[in-house]
Amino acid sequence: MKNPEKKSDFQKILEKHKFLVLDGGMGTMLQNAGLPPGGIPELLNFTDPKLITNIHRSYVNVGANIVYTNTFGANRLKMAKTHKSVRNIISTAIANARQSGAEYVALDIGPIGQLLEPTGTLKFEEAYDIFREQIEAGADADLIVFETMTDLLEVRAAVLAAKEHSDKPILVTMSFEENHRTFTGCEIPAMALTLEGLGVDAIGVNCSLGPVELLPIVEELCNWTTLPVIVKPNAGLPDPVTSQYHFDPDEFAGCCEKFIDLGAVILGGCCGTTPEHIRTVAQMLKTKTPIQKKNSIPSAVCSANQTVIINQPRVIGERINPTGKKRFKQALIEHDLDYILNQAIAQINAGADLLDVNVGLPDIDEISMMQDAVKAIQGITDTPLQLDSTNPEVLEAGLRCYNGKPIVNSVNGEEASLNTILPLVKKYGAAVVGLTLDENGIPKTTDGRFAIAEKILNRALALGIRREDVYIDCLTLTASAEQEGVMQTLDAVRRVKTELKLHTVLGVSNISFGLPNRELVTRNFLTMTLYAGLDLPIINPNTASMMSCVRTYKLLANIDKNAVDYIAHYGTESPENINNNNNNNIINNPGGMTLESAILSGLKSEAGTLTKELLTSSEPMQIVNHMLIPALDKAGADFEAGKIFLPQLISSASAAQSAFEVIKHHLCESSTETVNRGTIVLATVKGDIHDIGKNIVKILLENYGYQVIDLGKDVPYEAVAEATEKSHAPLVGLSALMTTTLPAMEATIRLLHERCPWCKTVVGGAVLTADYAEKIGADFYAKDAKETVDIAKRIFQN
Amino acid sequence: MGLPEHPDQKFLDLADLCEQKLLQAIRPKYTWKLFQKLDLEFLLIGQDIRNHLKNCDRMILFCATLSQNADTCIRLAQTSDVLAGMMTDAMASALTEQFCDLAEAEILKNFPDSYATFRFSPGYGDFPLSVQSDLLSLLQAQKATGICLTESNLMTPRKSVTALIGLSEQPIEKQRKGCVGCNLSQKCPYRRKGVHCN
Repeated sequence: MKNPEKKSDFQKILEKHKFLVLDGGMGTMLQNAGLPPGGIPELLNFTDPKLITNIHRSYVNVGANIVYTNTFGANRLKMAKTHKSVRNIISTAIANARQSGAEYVALDIGPIGQLLEPTGTLKFEEAYDIFREQIEAGADADLIVFETMTDLLEVRAAVLAAKEHSDKPILVTMSFEENHRTFTGCEIPAMALTLEGLGVDAIGVNCSLGPVELLPIVEELCNWTTLPVIVKPNAGLPDPVTSQYHFDPDEFAGCCEKFIDLGAVILGGCCGTTPEHIRTVAQMLKTKTPIQKKNSIPSAVCSANQTVIINQPRVIGERINPTGKKRFKQALIEHDLDYILNQAIAQINAGADLLDVNVGLPDIDEISMMQDAVKAIQGITDTPLQLDSTNPEVLEAGLRCYNGKPIVNSVNGEEASLNTILPLVKKYGAAVVGLTLDENGIPKTTDGRFAIAEKILNRALALGIRREDVYIDCLTLTASAEQEGVMQTLDAVRRVKTELKLHTVLGVSNISFGLPNRELVTRNFLTMTLYAGLDLPIINPNTASMMSCVRTYKLLANIDKNAVDYIAHYGTESPENINNNNNNNIINNPGGMTLESAILSGLKSEAGTLTKELLTSSEPMQIVNHMLIPALDKAGADFEAGKIFLPQLISSASAAQSAFEVIKHHLCESSTETVNRGTIVLATVKGDIHDIGKNIVKILLENYGYQVIDLGKDVPYEAVAEATEKSHAPLVGLSALMTTTLPAMEATIRLLHERCPWCKTVVGGAVLTADYAEKIGADFYAKDAKETVDIAKRIFQN
Repeated sequence: MGLPEHPDQKFLDLADLCEQKLLQAIRPKYTWKLFQKLDLEFLLIGQDIRNHLKNCDRMILFCATLSQNADTCIRLAQTSDVLAGMMTDAMASALTEQFCDLAEAEILKNFPDSYATFRFSPGYGDFPLSVQSDLLSLLQAQKATGICLTESNLMTPRKSVTALIGLSEQPIEKQRKGCVGCNLSQKCPYRRKGVHCN
């Protein structure tokens, strides 16, 4: 086993030098040497190697210990137009840097230049592979630097590629704006927690701002990391008209001195800095001594854009979990990510601080489902996640693509578990839930559980996992079956908290299983556990009384100072509402309204409520066929006649959707019947990222009972053909908004004709016309969502 | 987005909510650089951009974005409510133009003695989208604003704009932007009625 106390090579280098001096701007020097606007700096490694070596040398001569190779954009995407291989560019650039006599040569890697999914179209796995190629090409460098990064997910891909394909020290700097966030919203604590967790050797900031503006940013960073901190500022802010930077070398070094007082130990310059700037910085450093760094940082987890500090009770939402929920299981089988996303949104709106994600079901591929769920949830929310599975491969799949520092749920005292889960936690820098059970089951006594907690802690510490990142679950036993065990759990929570000084987590709801009025039992147990020292209750936040219990506890425990949060939530509410379950369960009798009129008026919650009532007396399919669909037909006809407009049609569709959700839920619980009037594949074609139109079509088709396989946007031709083959769908709908992506639509249709001759195609989108649709071989052109439904009805003859 | 002239209160309320969330989420950014027209001849592909800059000696390259948060905000809205998604999307498009107007006014303060053309973007007329890549790299747009291109030359974050503004010492005759840059120009309901949307 690796000894975590052993010093890394980089720490030794740093200790030897006290401070490390980096180089200054490369682009600035190249422009001064005549690189034209829009020129490719990396090509100068070939066309003018002397120039490059001289620039490196000019920095070495003034005291830089480390020079960055001229390879900022040397990735396969940016270099495609140069017709040179990444390997060739990078190895040549390293040779040029070596010629300068630099003590250390750092392989310099900037952002890929395309945004990752879901805002962009680049997949995490592709990003990883692009970085891997650069890392492998840079085998001759001494260290690896990722700089000017703004997307934490991209940095994670980069660091994983570096860790898995080299053993060189890794330095990472990101670019922050004056609001202490990057362009993608990444926070400083999130960067620090995530990258220190991944085991990089030093972190810091570069570019974007001058040394004055960076001061508060560096201060915050130093508070959030125990790693050596790097600062590589621009030479002030550029002049808006001339784009020139104005800080002279003395001013620059003067400002940089303050970084040392905050704890930074690696300094250099970015845009606008020259060897003169680096000379003054190197001289200034000779007079300084590094300050003693902080060695403890708070216990916290994060997404890229949100950090949750575990310094008070934080609610983990338990609803993303199929156990005992037939509707959830059906959603997993149908790969219905929207259903999962809406579970996430509801819990966040109810007050969850973190979300547990469990997508385990025997009949599905849990590994890819975990990946898809994590990517989808982090695409719409900043709430940090707890990845929950019994399968280590599933956990790793989630850990790889998670953008931040998650919690792993869970490890336990069994050898097999300790040996597989803890190394994953360490590798990906997560926090972990430790269950107090082992080969012999759950110990009955407090002592037994405490002993397992201690064992888990010691094993985690031995691997280099921080104490602050181990959360112990003392396990709730059901009061109806093991009444004498309830107090044991509470005692164990108290001892783990006070004696081991660890944070605690507990699935609370289990306490009331098998008892009448479960909520009453659960809520009181929750209060008791919080008082015993529970930090992370795993509960259903959609149950209002559970959240009110947590908020009241925080008020009484003097955490919610001046009752600010409590009053914000309950200040205007009448007493009887506080303990009522969520409001949508309260049946408002919508006074004589019919399902049809609710749908036509676009009233979502009323449509749902009326459907619930109707289900007590009517068959589900009768409601669909005789009420829902006729109402939608009427809305569609009004839309066609120009009596209502698109937003009103969509609003009716949304109301119908909530009625449908009630019916689906009912069918899941009561029978094996499902609504499926035919399967349709939908996609926004390759190269196009506009999906609003497609989504409108989707909801309308679903309302008519069609099973829609939604492939999303920017969908490769092959993926459309594959999904059509697999589902044998008789109809495929393709959407494109841009003139430039119409050829992709044509190519998709051609491939469909080859591989799926049975299927018909319907196309739509802003730039399409009926003539053009015919020209590219589509079977149908639909001018709007309503017409797509008419076409589907014809194809499926229903 | 095709609302009736006098929408119900329900739509107006939803619109207010979407607007509020969008305005809270976005972190707009822009950047620009001044070039001599002669230095960037290679960028001026097609007749329309050349006509546009006919009497100009300099030009401003410009890009602006509402930030990735706008994309997230739209995704989030449409996950639970397609109509809210569509409204947020339409508002974000309008907001992008408004932000560009403000940014442009700020930029032009640097040139009190010059006359400026309106913003002309790749994709207008015969000025091809393929210049986006050069345009953004001249602006160092990723470093300055976070704007990147996809493989098919679409900008991400989605609510982003690039444009050229011509500058001249001489007054520039009044130009009309018209429908030249609009994707919907072929089937626009306003045009059919013989009117314009703005």
